[in-house]
Amino acid sequence: MSIAVTSHSGPAAAPPPEPPTPPVNYLNVSHTIWSWLFTVDHKRIGILYLVSISIFFVAGGAAAGIVRLNLLQPDGAIVSEDAYNRAFTAHGVLMLFFFLIPAVPAVFGNFFIPMMIGTKDLAFPKLNIASWYVFMIGAVCAVWAVLAGGIDTGWTLYPPYSTRASQSNVIPGVMGAFISGFSSIMTGLNIMVTVHKMRAPGMTWGRLPLFVWALYATSLIQLLATPVVAISLVLIMVERVAGIGIFDPTIGGDPVLFQHLFWFYSHPAVYIMILPGMGVISEVLTCFSRKNIFGYHAIAWSSVGIAVVGFLLWAHHMFVAGISFYAALLFSLLSMLVAVPSAIKVFNWVATLYRGSITYQAPMLFSLGFVVLFIVGGLTGLFLATLGTDIHLHDTYFVVAHFHFVMVGGMVMGYFAALHFWWPKMTGRMYSDWWSRMAAAIIIFGFFITFIPQFVMGYHGMPRRYPNYPAEFQFLNVMSTAGASILGIGYLMPAVYLTLSLFFGKRATANPWSATGLEWQCPSPPVVHNFEHMPLVVVCGPYEYALGVDQLGRGLPEPPGSQDDPAHRDGVTGPAGPMHKETEVVG
Amino acid sequence: MTTMNMLPLIPEMASDGARHFEALFWYITLTSSAVGIGVYIALLYFCVRYRRGQTTGSTPRILGSVRLELTWTLVPMFVFLTYYAWGAMVYNKAVHPPEDATEIFVIGKQWMWKAQYPNGQRVIIGGNPRNMSESERQSIGKLVLPMNRPVKLTFISEDVIHDFGVPAFRSKIDVIPGRYSQVWYQPTKLGEYHVYCDQYCGTWHSLMVGKIKVVEGKEFDEFLSGYAPLQGTQNAVDGSLAHEGRQLFLKLQCINCHSATPTGKAPVLEGLYGSRVPLKGGGAEIADDAYIIESIRRPRLKVVDGWEAIMPAYDETQVSAEELNAVVAYIRSLRKGTTPDRTERFPAPNGAPTERQQSPQPSGGK
Amino acid sequence: MSASTHSPVLKHHFEDLGQQHACERLGMWMFLATEILFFGGLFGAYTVYRLWYPHEFEFASSHLNRVFATVNTMFLITSSLTMTLAIRSAKLGDKGALVRNLLITAALATAFMVVKGFEYAEDFHEHLVPGPGFSADIGKEASDKGLDPGKVQLFLCFYYVMTGIHGIHIIIGIGCILWLVWEAWRGAIPPENYSTVEVVSLYWHLVDAIWLFLMPLLYLAGAGYGAHH
Repeated sequence: MSIAVTSHSGPAAAPPPEPPTPPVNYLNVSHTIWSWLFTVDHKRIGILYLVSISIFFVAGGAAAGIVRLNLLQPDGAIVSEDAYNRAFTAHGVLMLFFFLIPAVPAVFGNFFIPMMIGTKDLAFPKLNIASWYVFMIGAVCAVWAVLAGGIDTGWTLYPPYSTRASQSNVIPGVMGAFISGFSSIMTGLNIMVTVHKMRAPGMTWGRLPLFVWALYATSLIQLLATPVVAISLVLIMVERVAGIGIFDPTIGGDPVLFQHLFWFYSHPAVYIMILPGMGVISEVLTCFSRKNIFGYHAIAWSSVGIAVVGFLLWAHHMFVAGISFYAALLFSLLSMLVAVPSAIKVFNWVATLYRGSITYQAPMLFSLGFVVLFIVGGLTGLFLATLGTDIHLHDTYFVVAHFHFVMVGGMVMGYFAALHFWWPKMTGRMYSDWWSRMAAAIIIFGFFITFIPQFVMGYHGMPRRYPNYPAEFQFLNVMSTAGASILGIGYLMPAVYLTLSLFFGKRATANPWSATGLEWQCPSPPVVHNFEHMPLVVVCGPYEYALGVDQLGRGLPEPPGSQDDPAHRDGVTGPAGPMHKETEVVG
Repeated sequence: MTTMNMLPLIPEMASDGARHFEALFWYITLTSSAVGIGVYIALLYFCVRYRRGQTTGSTPRILGSVRLELTWTLVPMFVFLTYYAWGAMVYNKAVHPPEDATEIFVIGKQWMWKAQYPNGQRVIIGGNPRNMSESERQSIGKLVLPMNRPVKLTFISEDVIHDFGVPAFRSKIDVIPGRYSQVWYQPTKLGEYHVYCDQYCGTWHSLMVGKIKVVEGKEFDEFLSGYAPLQGTQNAVDGSLAHEGRQLFLKLQCINCHSATPTGKAPVLEGLYGSRVPLKGGGAEIADDAYIIESIRRPRLKVVDGWEAIMPAYDETQVSAEELNAVVAYIRSLRKGTTPDRTERFPAPNGAPTERQQSPQPSGGK
Repeated sequence: MSASTHSPVLKHHFEDLGQQHACERLGMWMFLATEILFFGGLFGAYTVYRLWYPHEFEFASSHLNRVFATVNTMFLITSSLTMTLAIRSAKLGDKGALVRNLLITAALATAFMVVKGFEYAEDFHEHLVPGPGFSADIGKEASDKGLDPGKVQLFLCFYYVMTGIHGIHIIIGIGCILWLVWEAWRGAIPPENYSTVEVVSLYWHLVDAIWLFLMPLLYLAGAGYGAHH
């Protein structure tokens, strides 16, 4: 068995040595601003998204800074209650709709899925650039809503507060979320069609990288869940404009119905956010432990399982909202079931490290951070899925901490892992090894200090969305704010060293991590149509690290700083080696 | 550090529900931590043992193991199901109030909680004084509950969604406009406890906090029967709920049809509460709170057999949530021969004094 | 990839026309799935309230104009037919018939919107609108029957939102069809590459199908109202 990436022109085209200076690539093919704004190249669109979401990440982070600073004192005297409410809403709306949801699918999905499955572009390049414009229009609406006085409804937008009571810019804010939803649908549709119809010859479903599987599952959710929130947002806007609507209790409407519609999207939406991160982790852990993934099929199918079951448990956000007893029983049970595929993934990742040969560059540190933090996030989710405990913990800081452990500890870690893993491929430059490891360590440390105290606060009953609070919670709040400032420094560091790397970084080779994915077959940065030799024929699965990359006749360079001798990869542990007895293909 | 002392390891437990919660909470905490720490240890061991410096760089080609996959699918699932089952039992207790529970109505509005006791005693349990009328400010106090006795709280909101959370009872319920929600407690410890609004409700959301005071049953009885304000609170008294309902019954012209005379155009309400009402088109319904409220809000839905569906619906603008509670309390208290006629010739029913208590702040005794 | 397979209509990133068409069709089917869920939210909400307030919904529905709706249903069903005929013309390479069929489809769709406009005008004239403009007469009629006028307005909220969003879809459809007319006119839809016609027709049939659900839910719900009450 081998990973053969051959061209139709025959074996003569095998291992092309990397030229010292890259030829024309997607970055330097043209330089005008218009060539970027009107591009249909999936790689450039990925970069456009990267720049945009980085801005929203900073903006959302600044809002979080206001929130945490205000909570230093029990009387919350730094900003007014109104300003606080607007700050946490801005934090939620910007981070969720304009950072977390597009982060991995729109940046790395756009950039790498065509390369990973061996094609030149996504199925609908024009739709792809349109999705970025739609996203930016939505973002402009939301940012305008924030700048012109803010929104104070919380990102959940529950009526009748959002429709009748709030005096803030609900309409532009909702409009922003509504419009950006279409961009999410477009990206999801594009990825799904591409994965279905444009895989290279030999790239069967069983050979897809797990990142592609994860994004496929994500896209499924984006396609099927986003329209439902879109219609609920339309109904909110109609009700606010017309002063009457279907959630209006004064004419017999039911505000809880909105919660059903909203969570029908927004619960799956958290899987839109976390699944891509899980995909990244599968790529990075295998690469830096030089191991085949443990339980490929289990991980792939657990992604799909999460996507499907994720649609069936929205009402677990409403256990105390007066839903019927039997509905609560059902939704609690289904919530327990969705924890199982996540657990499967974690166990498989840990098992992948077994008998590996592990190095600790920044992507690996972020991935390990993901696993460590996601375990806490996932297990604390069980407290909220359990009916008896949710009654008390619902809407307290326990939920805030749980959610951030999954979304920030999980997804943002996954995002940084992806950024550091693929940065050399995207930009053709290497960043500082030492600084990036430092950043990973600081972020993980700061994260724990920020959010562990919030679990304790929540358990003691401190409600969320409170600008002021009883004095006994002050110590923990101060600790949390201290952690948040460490976290903030950690997040700023990559901005510095990654930017510097663009100008002063060492030039990256095509495959600096000696990874097996097809995307590493492209030059760094990739040429305009990704591959120099088309079409590819893929003859085996994605993570054949055990066989050794050089053994496959690619002649690729070693990871920087690695101490091993490529010669050791041959022989004893080859396909005929002793590992045969423990090789057991799942599924 | 004093703040540390104020946050014990386990928060104060002041009800049966809190004990049930803690048992379950610590069961989940310990079992899930065991799993989590086990995974951490494995992770750490692998990370150290198989770091590049310790290995030759070559790795075996391990693809997976069906046995292991099945193990770590089924074992967690089984553990999660135990959480589920135990959680469902705790929840079952928490959402089903016992029959004999004393009922207190609580109305949430931006930004205050207004409680009505069965005797008409009212108290505002916290809120933002700047948003209150003078009389509302006067009646800011604590929600007084009896020790070791079940109390049922029935909630409705006048504007947006709120949530009545009492950490010491490990209890929480959304308070929703247009529908009633219920929660019940059996306090087991004397003292004062926080009430928080847990569902974001606007600018002063964080000021919609108050206190619950648990007192001895005897003290509570005195408070209920004598209209005596409790020590340390300023609970205002302005007549019983049923009395207020009686005034409304006359004012809203309910009496025109529900007149308990042979020419009445609608069913007699005397002794209605708790009885079985045959419905038009078959079936029957027990006339409980929910049925009476529904019959006022949506009279066409369940029409009593033998009567024409002529009653108009009364919405929030005609009968507010607070008023509705009063009318229900009145209908509950109606006994044979106590329906007043237009001239109020008949005596008022028991528990519905004809004389309205005038003083807004009676001081001790009657 | 050999240059011989290159067709002028083949986009650069596809291997061949078969792949290109397959992508286009699958993309549209997926888009239709999102549309169904978009309307699904509304249908779900409608179902809940209809079950809660059947009398009010039937009463309110009985005030809508069923004649307009019936005419409009015929327009839309016919337009689906002409749309399908357009695909056939495109397949046969009959440019004249293609343009003609597309134009008839667009005309029927426009007629639908015109009738809808008259219907809205009549509704406004009768104050059949939710909110402060709600007709006092209808409100009183509802109260006299023992119904809650609020829930009558709730039905009207659904009526306007559902037909309004459907109307927006029709207008988008007209735009797409006219764009096809332009493409066909300038000869950009050769018989080997008519998948754009196919894709637009899929969308059009969906818009049509949604109307076939709206019609009974909104107009026919109260058709028998007078009979039982």
